[in-house]
Amino acid sequence: MKLDPRTNLIMVFSLSTLAVFVVDVPLLTVVLLVSIIVANFFNEDWGFLRRARKFIFLLVGIVFLQSIFSPSGQILLSLGNFSILTTGGLLKGIRVILRMLIIIISATIMAGSNPREIIQGLIQWRIPYEIAFMVSLAIRFIPILGQEAKDAFTAIQLRGIEIDKLSMSKRFKVYSYMFMPVLSGVIHRARELSTSLEARAFRAFPERTSYIKLELKNTDYVIMTISIFFAVSMFSIYFLMG
Amino acid sequence: MKGVYNNRPFIEVNNVTFAYKKSDIILKDISTSFKKGEFTGIIGPNGSGKTTFGKLITGILASNKGNIFVEGQNIEEISLGTIGKKIGYLFQQPSRQLFNPTVREEIGFAHSFMGQNEKVVEEKVDKIIKEFSLEGLEDSSPYKISRGERQRVALASIFINEPSFLILDEPTTGLDMVRKEKLSQLLQDLQDKGIGIIVISHDDKFINKNAERVIEICGGGLCET
Repeated sequence: MKLDPRTNLIMVFSLSTLAVFVVDVPLLTVVLLVSIIVANFFNEDWGFLRRARKFIFLLVGIVFLQSIFSPSGQILLSLGNFSILTTGGLLKGIRVILRMLIIIISATIMAGSNPREIIQGLIQWRIPYEIAFMVSLAIRFIPILGQEAKDAFTAIQLRGIEIDKLSMSKRFKVYSYMFMPVLSGVIHRARELSTSLEARAFRAFPERTSYIKLELKNTDYVIMTISIFFAVSMFSIYFLMG
Repeated sequence: MKGVYNNRPFIEVNNVTFAYKKSDIILKDISTSFKKGEFTGIIGPNGSGKTTFGKLITGILASNKGNIFVEGQNIEEISLGTIGKKIGYLFQQPSRQLFNPTVREEIGFAHSFMGQNEKVVEEKVDKIIKEFSLEGLEDSSPYKISRGERQRVALASIFINEPSFLILDEPTTGLDMVRKEKLSQLLQDLQDKGIGIIVISHDDKFINKNAERVIEICGGGLCET
């Protein structure tokens, strides 16, 4: 279903705001389930979840880190006097994981929106064009930066450096070298972009005209209302529960 | 016939098929082999899969079907680090493979992680600087030198590993006639040392002048000319 990008933004904003403010684990689970259902309805590409499998260790690590640095409740796992896993730490870890999942999954709702339409949506919300344009540039550059970092990592290994055989400290040192080509690429690209923007008379006139005009349909209004109603209801339940 | 030949192929490509997306096959059922000391040119129109082919035989990309062997070892069973010691790969944009603030550090970069004696590395770096005519640029930033010089730095950095094979992706882009001639001479010298070379390029003139074997990628397959 093709929705106005502003409707998508409202949905993402409602879900991610809930993820940030709600602390209660059962409520966060409900928000996560709603995020999955909504994202599944509006997004067909779930390939990112397959790629995200690599981060499962990071998520499990978060639970243990929370337990080690913020222990509370009963000790579930310990090494002498040192507690590795506690009930309180486990709960905090689960909370962090749920929040991360809600934010990541709800953000995929935006994947179907065209960046140009997102800018237009922001402009029609009276956000200055320059800021809206910067947002769209950021969206456009994220995958490019990811690819450049990947290329740099490949190039480092092709220099004969066997990362797996290095000690952890040397491994971090190798990773630090990746910044140089990525940063140089960013500066180079920013320079080219600013030159081409100047050449095309960016901001030459205070008023901009646009070929695209977005119009909210009845479905958009309904979904926006449901999103806001859902967020307000969840907040109410959360605060009433204390 | 130029260079030192060895009958056994260094790289063997057996019935390789590759697609970025299932429906969009770039290379289909490709089989070929490359020997040390041989200069091969790979040509083809934009988007034909030349760079993809180069990345497959370097192990950067994994094939969907078929096998690639480097010195008899299946490429999927070797780490990129090990491949990098055998095959040098020059990216289309050399700046993507430069990581250090000075040319000297760049050339010795890989060896600083291999636990080699500092003095031995320094001697090797000095030798390579001379071989690749980089004298006077030792303390310059690899990002502030000309494109031709940057390319030589990238090649020199690869060569400190003494690879047996070299793959260059569009090495003549942005080079004038004089620099192309210098690159040509440099590659001839390396070939004379028995190093196998594959140049992926649009520059038919450069390929015809230097390569003794030319492969064209057409319709997802190989057409040897």
